[in-house]
Amino acid sequence: MTDATDNGLVIGVADMAIGSTTDQQLITYALGSCIGLTAYDPMARVGGLLHFMLPQPSSKGGQKDLKEFMYATTGIPRMLRRLVERGAVQNRLILSASGGAEILEGAANMAIGKRNRTMMRKVLWKMNLQLAAEDTGGQAARTMSLDLNTGEVLVRSKGNRSVLWQDPAAVSAKG
Amino acid sequence: MNYRILIVDDSPLLRATARRAVLQAGVDASQIREAPNGQEALDALRTQSADLVLLDINMPIMDGFQFVEEKAKDPALADVKVALVTTEGNQKRLARMTELGVEHYLRKPFEPEELRSLVANLFGDS
Repeated sequence: MTDATDNGLVIGVADMAIGSTTDQQLITYALGSCIGLTAYDPMARVGGLLHFMLPQPSSKGGQKDLKEFMYATTGIPRMLRRLVERGAVQNRLILSASGGAEILEGAANMAIGKRNRTMMRKVLWKMNLQLAAEDTGGQAARTMSLDLNTGEVLVRSKGNRSVLWQDPAAVSAKG
Repeated sequence: MNYRILIVDDSPLLRATARRAVLQAGVDASQIREAPNGQEALDALRTQSADLVLLDINMPIMDGFQFVEEKAKDPALADVKVALVTTEGNQKRLARMTELGVEHYLRKPFEPEELRSLVANLFGDS
């Protein structure tokens, strides 16, 4: 579920939103083993943020009830198609990823965070795309946001805020 | 693999709905138990563990947030996975749950396919 707030669009788990400059920013919380993937076209100034939870649907499942933004294999291509429909050009997209952590140390899990990271790379590779910036793995939960005016991607974790990606021209202008 | 599933929700109707979804999903469940609040869920887990808890948030006596906090304090329950089944729209509250190790969410009403995919990915049984 995506909520519009005064401070932009909030993207829930297993969801995605596309925004342009009037939306200010896209933000998602609760990235544990889930991954937040942003894609931004700096020319069209349109961007998307996908918060997927799992690598892929069950092979036994039908397509009828599929929630495509729940999975890397279905959510990533869908977000990119939606961006192109909104005027983005795929080879201009700047992609950043955050999340894919293993929060529970020692738990007998199937390393969902790692498998999410692997599947994301596979999907992007098949689409001939690569990440411009990445802050994944580890054990900390993260919050991720995309500024739709500048393309800047911020990650907050354990009370710290860091810039994951920003326009190199903006950095040199500041310097 | 046969999974032991604990459904935690104060609504008998929603517990029955979740139980039906587990069965419709074709999840190989050897045991499906139910609890009406977080405290009874903790008691149930300490008596006999489970592989997956389907957890509501808003419940009397002990809500889903308190349950997750208490569970996180108990190393004996570290291997019990939790999926929140929620209508919760407060993403900052959900972020707190993530910090406590809850990494999976199903939005009410969830489809059997979502549960099937969750189990397949969590336990590698696809």
